[in-house]
Amino acid sequence: MMNRTLEHILPKVQKPARYTGGEYNAVVKNKGEVDIRYALCFPDTYEIGMSNLGCRILYGVMNERHDIWCERCFAPWGDMEEEMRREGLLLYGLESGDPIAEFDIIGFSLGYEMAYTNVLNMLDLAGLPLRSAERTDFFPLVVAGGTCCYNPEPLAPFVDFFVLGEGEEVTLEYIDLYRQARDEGWSKEEFLLEAARIEGIYVPSLYEPVYRPDGILGEVKALEGAPEMVGKRIIQDMDKAYFPVKTIIPSTEIVHDRVMLELFRGCIRGCRFCQAGYVYRPVRSRSPELLAQYGKASCEDSGYQEMTLSSLSSTDYPELLPLCDELLDYCAPRDIGLSLPSLRADTFSMSLMERLQRVRRGGLTFAPEAGTQRLRDAINKNLREEDLLQSCRTAFAGGWSGVKLYFMLGLPTETDEDVLGIADLARKVYFTWREYSPNKARGVRITVSTSWFVPKPHTAFQWEGQITAEEYQRRVSLLRDALRRDKSITYNWHDPQTSYLEAVLSRGDRRLADVLEWVWEHGGKMDSWTEYFDYQRWLDGLAACGLNGDFYANRERERSEVFPWCRIDTGVDTGFLWHERELCYASTSTPDCRTRCSGCGANKLLTGGGRCG
Amino acid sequence: MADRLLFTKAGRARYISHLDLMRTFQRAFARAKISIKHTEGFNPHPFVSIALPLSVGYSSQCEILEFGLLEGTSYEEVPARLTAAMPEGITVHDCYPAERKLKELCYVNYIMTFDYPEGRPQESEPAMAALLSRERMAVRKKSNKAKAGFTEVDIIPLIRSWCIECQSDTMMVDMVTSAQNPGLNPELVRAAFCAEYPEYAPDFVTFHRRDVLDGEGKTFR
Repeated sequence: MMNRTLEHILPKVQKPARYTGGEYNAVVKNKGEVDIRYALCFPDTYEIGMSNLGCRILYGVMNERHDIWCERCFAPWGDMEEEMRREGLLLYGLESGDPIAEFDIIGFSLGYEMAYTNVLNMLDLAGLPLRSAERTDFFPLVVAGGTCCYNPEPLAPFVDFFVLGEGEEVTLEYIDLYRQARDEGWSKEEFLLEAARIEGIYVPSLYEPVYRPDGILGEVKALEGAPEMVGKRIIQDMDKAYFPVKTIIPSTEIVHDRVMLELFRGCIRGCRFCQAGYVYRPVRSRSPELLAQYGKASCEDSGYQEMTLSSLSSTDYPELLPLCDELLDYCAPRDIGLSLPSLRADTFSMSLMERLQRVRRGGLTFAPEAGTQRLRDAINKNLREEDLLQSCRTAFAGGWSGVKLYFMLGLPTETDEDVLGIADLARKVYFTWREYSPNKARGVRITVSTSWFVPKPHTAFQWEGQITAEEYQRRVSLLRDALRRDKSITYNWHDPQTSYLEAVLSRGDRRLADVLEWVWEHGGKMDSWTEYFDYQRWLDGLAACGLNGDFYANRERERSEVFPWCRIDTGVDTGFLWHERELCYASTSTPDCRTRCSGCGANKLLTGGGRCG
Repeated sequence: MADRLLFTKAGRARYISHLDLMRTFQRAFARAKISIKHTEGFNPHPFVSIALPLSVGYSSQCEILEFGLLEGTSYEEVPARLTAAMPEGITVHDCYPAERKLKELCYVNYIMTFDYPEGRPQESEPAMAALLSRERMAVRKKSNKAKAGFTEVDIIPLIRSWCIECQSDTMMVDMVTSAQNPGLNPELVRAAFCAEYPEYAPDFVTFHRRDVLDGEGKTFR
């Protein structure tokens, strides 16, 4: 299975086990017996990509079909890339070692903007032209899915089509159409036109952006045969959805090296800054019985000693406590740790804490996001200070001696009072520890982290400008000075450069494709890694293409502005988003979806006419 | 005393590092539902220990892992069940109670294969023989402890015996080397050869551990 060139390269690179495949549960099929070869590509390292639950699901869904062989492909680290280029080794699928350029379909998972240059680099390493228009052969098709596809425009010229929403069903649908087209000898154009009729598929070549003289997008013209709007796909019934019980267990350490149990999709909270909270609507839960069964079976099959419950806000799972109890009855005697990463600070109860302590105790992280009640109401975080402090009290009294608090700076309507409110809140947490910790000799670690708010498409803040870098730095300094004398509080802040570029790319249009290509041509790759990231290169790229980053990042949009993602429908009405924005400026919160339906529109995606939940 | 496994590490599994391999075994025991002893203390985990760490990239047919088998599984069932739970390239051959101490493991038999895809230079064989026949051959070895970042090792006393077998495009060096205190990594022999005879440097060298031996040169298990 392993080719000679690869064998010669591997002794020279770091962590070679990332490049070999052959892990437990990796699927190896007989090439002669499959009809479709699919390369599932993650544009980052093996350690990051293998931690992605979505990829594990799609890998399982495709490989369950006898006629499809789905293999994995990750971005090689620099040392490996250098050797591959020197030896002329093309990017290959980990399972077979065959070059992915020979496959039928290459599918990228796009989760964050800073991975875009890796998409280009991987296409190049595969030996393929970057631009869709230059790939005149019918295959391999280059497709992409994942959260970034809700505004795919910066990558539009490179990708044949984008898949919106959850991929379990639509992936098989487009593969079947592809097979028909290939076997019947359709042209690529004919195929793409037909693919555009599948719900959830956005073919960028069927849309043409038209810009006004002032540079603002005037229209995204739908060409002949293109649907006016492209909706996203969702799984109707989570209890019938595929769950990767039998999944690849890497032979080398990855980032999330544990069983991931997905409780539900969507989120009832409606935080106004949160793209995931809007685009994953409506809320759909798995039954606790099924989850307990999957959780146990996953531990048995993997041999993992750790399980994590995953969702956007795990404490909103209605039957969390009984589920934890059932899982703990299994985990505790086997020394399997259970962790709950997405805790809301107002729902961390004594009963939950006792359960989490039964096996192993991880760190405790809360995300109040904003320092004052007014701003938390404005962004609809719906978290009350007394509830946060109550949770901290519970935790400290229960023996925790550290808590991490996450905030954002630069949220719409934020004032200096709000920034200083973060310091006050952190101090109140400290006083809570002083009052309630049973063992003060151990000391306390309170960590405050701030990131720079990035306005995202399809959120209530999609019209907002990002504050300038100077203003962000000023607010960081303000907070840093305020916390300077608190020895027990550590303050970390996010580097502003990537946040700025995220703001440029996340709401960017098709013109940014030239910037991506320029940056890649000038050595850009692995931009989410400090080892490789070069901010100046991006600024140079923007300048070379005659574009102004501030136009995308800092500019507040009119209500009437046409967005690059205007053809993409998440199910949530734009009118609802605008109304939410207005409520933000009135510092008024919206109740969560279980308390009262706010009529965002996403429930129309439930074909059975059911309600969210 | 502990229990032992004898296993092969080959193919794609050659690139699994020592630490990752231990983790892989811990998980594989759990997957195979073979109960093994755990360490004690605050954070108990399944206890496994590999007798002689193998360099990444080398293959071996004689790896030994120590662990403690708990009730519920017989020695005979372990190899097949564990192999089924392993990544590609790891095959468990035998499971047995340890009867000898690990420090009796004195020598390792390595096969080094020098590849010359363009044809092997005739003189490579006498050159290798001359190198291995020297009285002394000092080689620099990376060291984190030494101030200079390396130490000098004389490799000759660490080689107990050797023989060379050649084909038109390969040279195979079958070598018995000291296993521990200090051991000899055959990579140093390759490095010495390439430094002394750069004109006969091969395209590529593969390393294979064929057997582990006791002080008398008999197979150690």
